Amino acid sequence: MSKNKRRKTYDTLLNGITYFASSISFITLLAILIFIFGKGYKLLNIDLIAENFESQGYVADLYDYARLCNCESDIAFDEGVYYSSKWGIALADQIDLLGKNVIQIIYVNPKSPLFEIRDKGIGNEPIELRDEYHIIRIAFDNYPTALSRYGAENMINYLNANDELREIEFQTKGGGIKGSIITTLYLIALTLIIALPIGIGAAIYLNEYAPNNKFTKFLRSLIETLTGVPSIIYGLMGLAIFVPITTKLTNATGGNIISGAMTLAVILLPVIIRTTEESLKVIPDDYRQASLALGASKTQTTFKVVLPSSVPGILTATLLAIGRIIGESAALVFAIGTSIKDQVSLTGKSTSLAVHIWAMMTDEPANIELSATIAIIIVLIVVILNILIKLISSRYLKRKLGISI
Amino acid sequence: MLDNLLKIKFKNTSRGRITDKISKIVFMSATILSASFIFVIAGIIFIRGVVPFTTDNLGVGRVSLFHFLTGDVWLIGETFASNLYSIGFIILSTLFITLLSLAISFPVGVLTALFIAKIAPKPIAKILRIVIETLASIPSIVFGLFGAGVILKLVYDFSSSIGYQSKGGNSILSVVIVLALMTIPTITTISEVAIRSVDPAIEQGSLALGASKTQTNFKVVLSSAKSGIFTAAILGIGRSLGEATAVSLVAGGRRSGLSFDLLDTTSTLTTIMLEGLKETTGIDYDIRFSVGLVLMVVILLTNLMLNAIKRRVGVVHVKE
Repeated sequence: MSKNKRRKTYDTLLNGITYFASSISFITLLAILIFIFGKGYKLLNIDLIAENFESQGYVADLYDYARLCNCESDIAFDEGVYYSSKWGIALADQIDLLGKNVIQIIYVNPKSPLFEIRDKGIGNEPIELRDEYHIIRIAFDNYPTALSRYGAENMINYLNANDELREIEFQTKGGGIKGSIITTLYLIALTLIIALPIGIGAAIYLNEYAPNNKFTKFLRSLIETLTGVPSIIYGLMGLAIFVPITTKLTNATGGNIISGAMTLAVILLPVIIRTTEESLKVIPDDYRQASLALGASKTQTTFKVVLPSSVPGILTATLLAIGRIIGESAALVFAIGTSIKDQVSLTGKSTSLAVHIWAMMTDEPANIELSATIAIIIVLIVVILNILIKLISSRYLKRKLGISI
Repeated sequence: MLDNLLKIKFKNTSRGRITDKISKIVFMSATILSASFIFVIAGIIFIRGVVPFTTDNLGVGRVSLFHFLTGDVWLIGETFASNLYSIGFIILSTLFITLLSLAISFPVGVLTALFIAKIAPKPIAKILRIVIETLASIPSIVFGLFGAGVILKLVYDFSSSIGYQSKGGNSILSVVIVLALMTIPTITTISEVAIRSVDPAIEQGSLALGASKTQTNFKVVLSSAKSGIFTAAILGIGRSLGEATAVSLVAGGRRSGLSFDLLDTTSTLTTIMLEGLKETTGIDYDIRFSVGLVLMVVILLTNLMLNAIKRRVGVVHVKE
């Protein structure tokens, strides 16, 4: 009796351990969601996603060696732009994404004392004042502080009235998530254009044409091996092959969207081939035979009977591919690069959303808020894609069942 | 039979014969192109990877292969002006980290799979399966972000509570936790399939002999599914070894000295590849391919070894 009881306790304990182990996954998912939504929710805003983000604020002062430049500018500025030749800087009033009045830097003369300034925060790296940064305030010794709300003209007047400044507070232009979204969309389109025909073609060959021999098996195992290659290795391949090819053929100077898409296409081939082949396998042979019996050629059968019936499978492959493209980071760090750009062109430098996160997180200081916002976008898209895939496959199965009855 | 007859008929018709041939060739070349990429990858990484060992790297000097594989300092001196790269300590710490993360993810993953397949009430199993699927589909960069935002802080607080000053939490421990969380879904999914495919006759036999449900689950079901569970572990290891961006956010980037201290910074083969990358020529560029080559060899050797062990463990009564 006591032995029985002991066993029961022991069994309960073992079962308890499985409950505990399972709870870890649950907690992990919950923690990830809470984290990204908690950190990224503030910045999640349609306008901000479509435009550029404001992200980093700095307080800086002049280096001891900085001298007033008194440089005249030969650039003709628009109306509303105020230039101080004493400081070599041009400012203008602007309205930012949040509807606030801000003072934007239009131009900084390379000889200006403000061109390279000292960060008063953490880090001793010199920071550079560039166009499109927003100036929040400039504080002087024994003189009123020039605040952004008094306008650009006022700030330039204050600057002209002083020979020294105590500190300058400004905000850099944001990371530009708009550019990364466009790049990601380009990548998705281009990768699918490259990978789908090759992948579907290969799947058709393997399922419809290939003889059942050693060579076919060999080809299959080679394609299967591709799935085990880490994505960073694909990235190296893209860097060594596709980047040089695209720089030679186009005006690209380094990693670009085309080289990134080519690399992603190679990564996705095994996924597309496998998923498409699965859907080809379940097409009843009756279809093919009926088509052939009606006098259609093999090619006609393939394109008019087999392919249309496998559309759900191809769609699933496409959705899987999109999910993978959106999430891929390691390969793209090499194959397209990490420069975050607002102006996107196929052969120019830019980066995808996932690499955007990586680039910001490896930067000092890391921008966790914006990264979390992008993570929300990525996770939402991936979850939606998953649901779509489920819907397609369940509806497809239902239809198949209906046919077989 | 009918199929063959049709084939004969189809072969004899002249109509569409040429287009059929052409389309077959097109489809076949798509297949061969897809299959050939594995050689392209292996080839290019090898060709680029041996450059630092065979040339004098634009005047910097040849890298000694032995020193590269055994040394414990990555890059002495100025970038682009040194041939003193070595990754011996990084290879060891990569293996150490992979082993530790598997020590967490393997039991957790397998027990979760057992729970979903055999123990959990249906609604809970259903929810948990969705949770696992969602976790599996979350991109690694999001895990990395989570690691950098949450796990680093936890590890930092933990280390300072025991009086240890860690570098912002960047440590072996953080890497191990992030990798373990990432590999749990992989291991769970594959183990669950293996557990489900265990022949019910074996279970019923065990129950008929008087074993309790729990005893059967732990002693009979798990050991019958061990081949599949082992496959899950192999895939988990593969994922850990190849993971790059997530790890690079929590590793801390160790440049020298082998350390197995859980709270000390570290580097893995993948993170060291991601560091810097400013130039597109010269040794600093080429050396990444050497590291990539080493990574591929490490993954290949680990897989061969694990598969050999798996064959020894053997397949037991698994319903195909």
